[in-house]
Parts: sequence; C-alpha cells; structure tokens
Amino acid sequence: MRKSLKNIYDFISDHLYFYRPDLEINGEKYNSTLLFSLLTTVVQGKQLIVGEPGLGKTTSAEYICSVFYQIPLGTIWLSEVAGHPEQTEEKIVGRPNLGLLNKGIESVVWSNFVQLPVKIVDEINRLPETKQSIILDGVDRGNWQYLNEMFTNDEYCLFATANYQDLGTFTIIPPMLDRFDVMVESKHPGANISYLIASFYKKDELLRHEKYERELNKLLNDSKLSYEVKMERIEKVYANFSKHLEKMGLQPISKQKRKAIRNKIEDMELDLDANAFLRTLISELSFCYKYGQKRANEKCEEGCHFTGYLCHSIKNCISNRFPISVKLYAKALAWFLGDKQVNVEHIKTVAPYALSHRLQWREEFIAIYEKETRVDPLPIYLAKVAVDKVLERYGEQRESIKEALAVAYDISQGRQIAPLEGDHPIYWEIKRDLGGL
Amino acid sequence: MKNPFFEFKDFRPKKREIPLDKIIASKEKVMDALIKAYDRLVEQEAKELVWLVSYHSVIRAYANAEKSIKDMQYGVEDIEEFLFEIENPSRLPYPIMGLCGLYISALCNHIKEKEIVLDLQNKNINLHLLGYRLPKGKRLIVYGDLGDFTGIGLNGGELLVEGNAGNWTGAGMRMGKIVVKKNVGRRTGEDMVGGEIYVEGKILGVGNVRYGRIYEKGGIVSP
Amino acid sequence: MKQIPKSTWIKIRKKHLFPPLPFPKVKKGQERAALEIKDKQIYIDENFLSQISKKMQENDAIEALLDHAIAHYTFCPWDFATYLKLYAEAKKVSKNKDIAKRATDYFMDVVVDTYCVKEKESNIPSLYKYMEKGKIEQVMCALYQKIWGKDLNVSGFDELVRKLMRIPYINKKRWKEGIRRFTHILKPLLEEQIYQSASSPFGDHRSLFSKDSIDKGLMELALSSSSPQAFGELVNDFKEELQEKGFFGNEVGRGRGQESMANILYYMKLAQRYTLSLKKLPEKKSGSIYPHSHSPWEIEKPYQDIDIWTSFGKFLPGLTQVWNRREGEILYLEEKVPNCLIIIDSSGSMTDPRRNLSYAVLGAACACEAYLKHGSKVAVYNFSDAEVGGKYLLPFTQDRIAIYKSLCKYFGGGTYLRPTDIKFFECDDMDIFFITDMKISNFSDVVSYFNNIENRVTAVHIGESIHSQRFALSVSKKNNISLYHVQKREDIPKIVLGKVKEYLHQAF
Repeated sequence: MRKSLKNIYDFISDHLYFYRPDLEINGEKYNSTLLFSLLTTVVQGKQLIVGEPGLGKTTSAEYICSVFYQIPLGTIWLSEVAGHPEQTEEKIVGRPNLGLLNKGIESVVWSNFVQLPVKIVDEINRLPETKQSIILDGVDRGNWQYLNEMFTNDEYCLFATANYQDLGTFTIIPPMLDRFDVMVESKHPGANISYLIASFYKKDELLRHEKYERELNKLLNDSKLSYEVKMERIEKVYANFSKHLEKMGLQPISKQKRKAIRNKIEDMELDLDANAFLRTLISELSFCYKYGQKRANEKCEEGCHFTGYLCHSIKNCISNRFPISVKLYAKALAWFLGDKQVNVEHIKTVAPYALSHRLQWREEFIAIYEKETRVDPLPIYLAKVAVDKVLERYGEQRESIKEALAVAYDISQGRQIAPLEGDHPIYWEIKRDLGGL
Repeated sequence: MKNPFFEFKDFRPKKREIPLDKIIASKEKVMDALIKAYDRLVEQEAKELVWLVSYHSVIRAYANAEKSIKDMQYGVEDIEEFLFEIENPSRLPYPIMGLCGLYISALCNHIKEKEIVLDLQNKNINLHLLGYRLPKGKRLIVYGDLGDFTGIGLNGGELLVEGNAGNWTGAGMRMGKIVVKKNVGRRTGEDMVGGEIYVEGKILGVGNVRYGRIYEKGGIVSP
Repeated sequence: MKQIPKSTWIKIRKKHLFPPLPFPKVKKGQERAALEIKDKQIYIDENFLSQISKKMQENDAIEALLDHAIAHYTFCPWDFATYLKLYAEAKKVSKNKDIAKRATDYFMDVVVDTYCVKEKESNIPSLYKYMEKGKIEQVMCALYQKIWGKDLNVSGFDELVRKLMRIPYINKKRWKEGIRRFTHILKPLLEEQIYQSASSPFGDHRSLFSKDSIDKGLMELALSSSSPQAFGELVNDFKEELQEKGFFGNEVGRGRGQESMANILYYMKLAQRYTLSLKKLPEKKSGSIYPHSHSPWEIEKPYQDIDIWTSFGKFLPGLTQVWNRREGEILYLEEKVPNCLIIIDSSGSMTDPRRNLSYAVLGAACACEAYLKHGSKVAVYNFSDAEVGGKYLLPFTQDRIAIYKSLCKYFGGGTYLRPTDIKFFECDDMDIFFITDMKISNFSDVVSYFNNIENRVTAVHIGESIHSQRFALSVSKKNNISLYHVQKREDIPKIVLGKVKEYLHQAF
C-alpha cells in the first residue's frame, strides 16, 4: 500500500506536476506542496495552498485527488467551488429540488462539491466568512445540511487556495485559518522547469476520461436514485477509471485499501522524543508565566524571565487543533516513509506547515528574520525558524525533559518526590498539571 | 481523564558521565566552600561599617579569615580560581579588595604546597594586603600588579611580584624577602623589622625602616 | 572524489536531532584543516580523510568529523552572536585579536568535542588519537585525556592541563568566565604559536556563519554594546570577514572626523532591530453598501432584499434568501508613503554619536528605516552652526550608507538652523522628521518656519527643557506637527517607532 502511495507521488511529479523539491526527509527530497497534498488526501485533512496566481495551487490538489480517489479530472473540475463574494450556499451545498418543491415536497439536490470526497475551493479568501465557515464545518463533521436533510461523506478532504495578490484580499480571519491543518505554498518551479511545463500543456489529458466523466455527471445529478444505489454506481465508475489509470503504470488504491491505510496511520505511535518535543513546542506556544496562558489581547510583561522562548515572540495562543494536525500528518508522513514510529524529524517537518497560518508573530520577531535569505514565504519561514529553535532547545535538554515527564508520572501515581526543576516552560507546565503552581 | 504522562512511565534517563563531570563537581564543592568562607568573613567584618586598614583591623580580619578556612581542603588551583570569582559579581557580590587580599593570604599561608603561583594579569582586580604574614618556607609568585600593603608582616616567606606593587609594601615585615620586578609606591618598608625588599624598578618613597634592607635597581637605599 | 555514505548522514542527523544542514561534501583541500564549514555546508577534506583512514575506519572518521561540525551549529557557538560574545571575552584577556580568535576557536572545539563525547557517544577521541598534532593540539589532547578519560597517546603538559580541566566546558551559562580562564591559561602558548598559519585542526570558525547570521549577530552586539566605540572595536576585529560578506564595502576607515563604517553599522543594526513592519491597508471602505452574503428570510424581515434567484421564486421562511449588505471594500494599489527629510541637530549640546549612543541618531535611523522600507527616499540636513558652515546636506536618496553617514556626522559647536537650507529639499510631497534638543540660537526663525509649512512634521526633542516647552507652545495649534520627547535610552526606539507607525498608518 505504501508503494502505491509512493507510486502516486512519483507519477504526478514525473508526468503532471513539475516542481522543485523543497523538503528533505530521511535523505530523500520532496516537493512540499505535492507531499502535503498527498498526505491531506490520505488523512482526510484540510489544506490551504497559497501562492502567486498560475503556479499550480489548484492543479496539484486536483491531480492528487484524481489519482488517489480515481475520479476523472473533468468531474473534479465540475465539483470545485470558486471563491467570490456572491457565492451562495445553494451553489456550494445544495438546492431545493424545484420540480418537487412545486408539488409541495421538500427535497434537496446536493452539489457535486458535497457528493464527491474531493473538495476544492479556489480562492477561499474571496468567500465571505459565513461561506468559509459552512465549508469548514461540513468538512470537519463529514456531513452537510441543507433544509432538513443531511448528506454524509464517508471519505473527504479539503483543499483551499488563496492568492497573494495583495494582503488585503487575504481575508481569511484567524479563527478560520486555524481550522486548516496545514498551509503550503505552491512555488514557482524556476525558469527551466517552467520552460518544460510549457511543452507539456496538454498533460491534463492523462487524467481525463470523457466517458466516465459523463457517466459520473449523470449519476451525481440524478436525484431520484437512493443514496446507497447512487454511491454504489459511482464507485463502479471510479473502479473503471482506475483501470484506465493502471494502464499508465499507476497502482490505484481501492476504498478498502484507503481505509486500511488510514487504520495503519492511526495506529502509528510517537516515539518518546517526538512526544516530548511536541509537548515542548506546544508549551512555548501557549505558556505565560504571568497570565497563565498566552492571550492575543495581553502583552508580555516588561522584563519577563521567559523572553528567550517563543511565547515572547508571538501574540496569540496556539489552538488545540495544532497538535491534532501535527500528530495526524506526522503519523501519515512516518507511515509514508516506511518508518516504524513517528520520530522528531517527522514532527519537525510537519510542524512548520501546521503552524505558519496559526501564529501571529510580534513585529520584533518579524524584523529580525524578514530580510533573511529564504525560499519559503515569510509565515512558513518564520515557523521553520521557530521550530528549529525549539528543537535546538529540546536537543540540549531532551533527557531532562523526558525525565521531568517520567517523574511527573510517578508523582501522579502518588510517589512523594519533587517535580524536576528547569527553566523551560515545559517544566512549569508539568508543575501546573501536578497542581504545584 | 487519561494520565497525560502515561507514555513516560517506563522512561529512565541515560546518565552519561565523563571524568570532567566529577572534576567539575568536586571543584565546585571546594569553590562553594571557599566562597562561603569568604562570605562569612565579610559578614563578620561588615560589623565595622567602613573597613579601613589599621593595625588592629588587619589582625582581627586575618584571625577571622584563618578561622573561616579552618580544616578546609583546597589546592593552588582553587586559590587561583577564587581570583576569577572576584571578578564574577553573581558568585561574589562583595569583593572588598583588602579583605580579599587578607583572605587569599590566609589561604596561601595554610596551604600545604610550598610554592604558590598566582596570575593576576589581565584581571580587573587590584588586591591589597597580599602576602600578609607569608611564613618561612613558602614562596608566593604573583604575575601582575598588586595594590597597597603588599607583603606586610611578611614572616620569613618569599614574595615575588612580577609587576608593580602599591604603597606600604613590606610594611612591618619581620623576615623574608620581597622582590618586585617593576615599581613600588610610597612608605615602602615602613616599620619593617627585618628581611629584604628588592625593587627592580623605582621606589616612590621609602618609609621609616627599623631593621632590614631595601634595594632599588640593585642598589641599597635603606639603611 | 570520495562520497559520504547516505546512511552515515542519516545516522548522524538522527543523533543530532535533525539539524537543518545540507548533505555534507568531500572536497580536495589545500590546507591541513580537516573541515571547512561555509554557510552551513560542511566539507570534509579528502586528503585528511585518506590520511586518517590509514589508522582508523574511514566511516568512523567521517562520523567523528560530522559530529564535530554539526555540534558547532547545534551547541557552540550556535550563532554569530554567541561567537562574538565568546570572542569579546577572550579579547578582554588577551588584548590581541589574533590570539583572541585562536583562543575562541580552540575553546569552541573543546566545548563541542566534549559535548559530542559526553552526549553523542562520538568517535572524536579516535580522531584525535590518530591525527597529527602540533604543540597546542598536544595540550588539547592531554586535556581531553583527563576530561574524557580516553588514551590519546599524549603525555606531559600537566601544569596546563591541571588548570584547563577545571573549566566547565559544557555548561553554557558559564562559557563567558570559562573562555576568560581558558584564554588566560593558554595565552603564553598562543603567543608562542602566533606566527604559525593554521589554528584549530578542524579549521577556523569564521566561515561558519552565513550573512544572515552575521547580520543578526551584529544586531545583538549593537544592543548589548555599552557604546558605539565598544561595538566598533569588536567589529573592526572582523573587518576582513565582514568585508568579505559585503557589510563594509571598500571604505573601512576610522579617521578623525570620518564616520567609521563600524559606527554606521552600529546605528544601522540598532535601528534595524526595531524595524517597523508596517501593515499596509490596501482596502478602503467605499462608503456604499453592496449585497455581500445570504441569510434565510424570516417573516418579520423586510422583503425588498429578497434574492428571487436563490429563493427559487418562493416566499417561504427558511427557504427564501435575503441579501445581507455590507459596505464595500475597494482594492487599492499600494499607497505611496512620502519621502522624508530628516533634520538632525549635531551641535555641541547633543551627544557625540561616535563616543556614546546618540538618541538623536538612533531616532533618526529608526525613522530612516521606516521610510526606506516603504520604498520612499530620505534626505538629511545635519546641522550645528549652519551659519558658519556647520551643516551637511544630503539630497533625497535611497542609499542607506550615504544616509547613515550623513546622520552620524557630528559637528559640535553652536546651533543655528537656516530655514533657507531646508528649502533646498522642498518637494511636493515630503514629510519632515526633526530631531534636536531645541537649544537653537535662532529659535524664533525656526518656529516661524515650521508654523508656515503644511508638511507633516514629526519633531522629537531630546531631554526636557525650557526650549522644548517653548517650541511645543509655539506649534501647538499646528495639526501637521506632532511633538515627541525623549528622556531616556529606551524611549527613542519605542516612542518614535510607535508614533511614526501610527502616523504612517494615517496615510492610508
């Protein structure tokens, strides 16, 4: 199964999405957009792809989803939601069945966006917050509501894109941003690869299949069919399309296999270093000695002892969604790479992409790093710098932090010993958990 | 709620040790004791609001210094390290140069080694009273400059200063030898009752010498 | 050319908790240094590797070298700022830059090697055992024998080692005192070896740092330096290295009356530490409302906003949709920030920026950075007794060095500001940033000039005096003049930045 997934990655990077690798894990190089898009489909996550217009933000997601779910590209296009202020719930979720409505019967015609597991929203920042919320709620819960009816997805993933254009159009408010698991940038591939792309402008055809697209479209719009029957038939078309993909050397992953992969990922465990490092990272992003925790409306106290930690460089407090995202993606990454457990490198690789859109940095911190030479956009770069810094700190006291956590366990089991003392916020958090502060 | 520390229940830290750890630990123990003893001395002497050098205050402070280091185990390196601590306000918040000089003198006088070398070069300290009562059989070599009252009451030992010394050098010395490679200040040898002072540079002023000899650039200047 | 096995790199990276460093390379080196580390890229010398692999397993040697190199990034010095701090301590003791540099190199090597031996179970001891050793390396190995408890085939140097082994090398908090003692103990030996070319067997550490790391190091040094002179002294010790990285250009000079580059760098780095990241506001409320989003219609709601299309022609609560209207937002192209004329007083009553931290220069530098960052130009009018030539006029430019040079000029003497000089700069759209202690001999001329202009003026006066009160009173009715006052060191970057920020925000 792992091979099939690797096969999808290789196929797309070889034939469809030509971009430079910008990530190195386990000595292998990957393109972050492609890798995270793949992981997002696997873990059923929510991914925000930012970048300049025309640099493949949407296409990377389309390709991955098409191959992973065996849905022809044309069908995916039909299901995409375009972000603009006038976008309505009826176009996104569903509309009343007018024929039946005129007969006095309430029934919903669900949109393709809702029915397909692949949910791609182009330029989400141009959608009003209410519409952004509808989409994110639907994906979060896996079910969609319109009138009094409900549609449930047993598989789903969300890709949303946002153009830079200007910061002003980027109107995804922080609470909304927080609901995305990861944010990646679709970068310019460089002059040479860009030149190559121009010679392959018809590469989309590889994932198109007119017949199956027509069949699927018909099935998706057929409101007379019961849900079960409809899904069964749709799956059949997917299976047919997967045979088409097989001819190109791809090893499509069936629904059962996808489920098995997710179970395996779910069962992956974090090794103790990864576990302690993630706790250390969270502690720096949420701790405040003075006011109990970070709050966006409170400022650090002058002369605070903890100025050397990230808590002093950020304005807001990291949410509980962050560790969920990191663990989910790190597990998926570890499984994808064939590692037995999630280690520090997996956390370190995933964390910046799960952090960059969730943190609001203080201007002093930005001022220090914004002019540095880099390949990533500033939010991702700052998050990488931050994670590296925490990792350096963790590396220096890893044994001590793990021991502090072990001692905390003993104390919680009634042993009469003192918690381990240390400068880092994690020691203070441990003491708070033990009721010592 | 599940115990948030559960995953660490079996964790036991790997304690790797190298000889440096032991060296530092034992050294720190000695240094802590030395610093504590000095603090005790400062505490006792702090009863006098202003610590001025006088015949009685020096005798009293030295006696207190001797008392505070009684039974203490230390080496020349420890004394040398104590000199570094004088420059470190977080470890030694009250470095009174007169008291420091007397304290180090007491340390030198009671150490088992016969020869003690202290390097004060490039240090931002100006120790007074160093070499106080240096006994017979001891040789104290100091690289760098010393302050006032260097080698006073010298008691048969040999004090070699590879630098300058201040006023009242060798005052009240009983026997022994002081060699200063550069210059000394005023009242050199005041009230000395024996021994010799060799100054290879200039002497700013010679004090009232009772007995003993003072040389300047090889030539005798007193008696 | 030899290659480093991928499996070795993966193993070493894991051991050091995945440092953000690229795959190391083997290189044919000219010198005897085993390692070269340049901007995070580690190069292992092929000759060294061939030689050492005759005596130990090649892979063990590679691992040991990589341990050493990586620990320089993950433990000591970690960054240029720490390196500078260590160097500064060594310099205090040695009083000689070459000895201080060498002492720092050796100290950092002892620190990282001891750290690797203790924490990473490294093969470094074997490397030392079999590599060729000069006199200092022998001393170091004698030290390692004692503190690591390994036999490295060295004897002697007991006296030195007895002193050296008392330094707590892997206690970061005590590095400052540690390097002072280390330098103090090794100084005679380092002086002896000063004319020998190579320093540490693993190469020196100056190329370790990228330009960005140096930049940050200089910022921290500027913040922690007691005066521009102290900053300049240290920075000048690294003249060549900084020049190589493009920090100085070719005009390093410390002549009298000349603004030394170190001085300029001091104010530049201090000001950049407080760089504003002004949020541009490209959207503006349009004043008219437009349909924004839908919500379900309820019986009591007015029906003029009903959207018949999404309501499918039905009037049913819950099904029928109404438009919610919002005030529109218009997308603007980037708003222009005007150019700025900085008028700075460098008369005798102001602090000489070359000797002490000048609030005036720092404040002006902060303002300069804020304007330059927005692509605007800055002009400088530096004056003391302008009537007798005590002035310097720099036309509008974006040349940062030229601006800082003009700001750092110090004339001393009396204070006379010629309003006619300012006219030289006048253009349609110009802000004025005026920083002085207000002790100006032609005060009334100045007040009348400012009362007659419409440009936005930020006037900052240093210290509280009768003159500043007079100025405040005289311009109190002018809305375009904002007056700020600076009393202590911390005030200037904060107040000026805050106000400039607020004031630039108003531009949108």
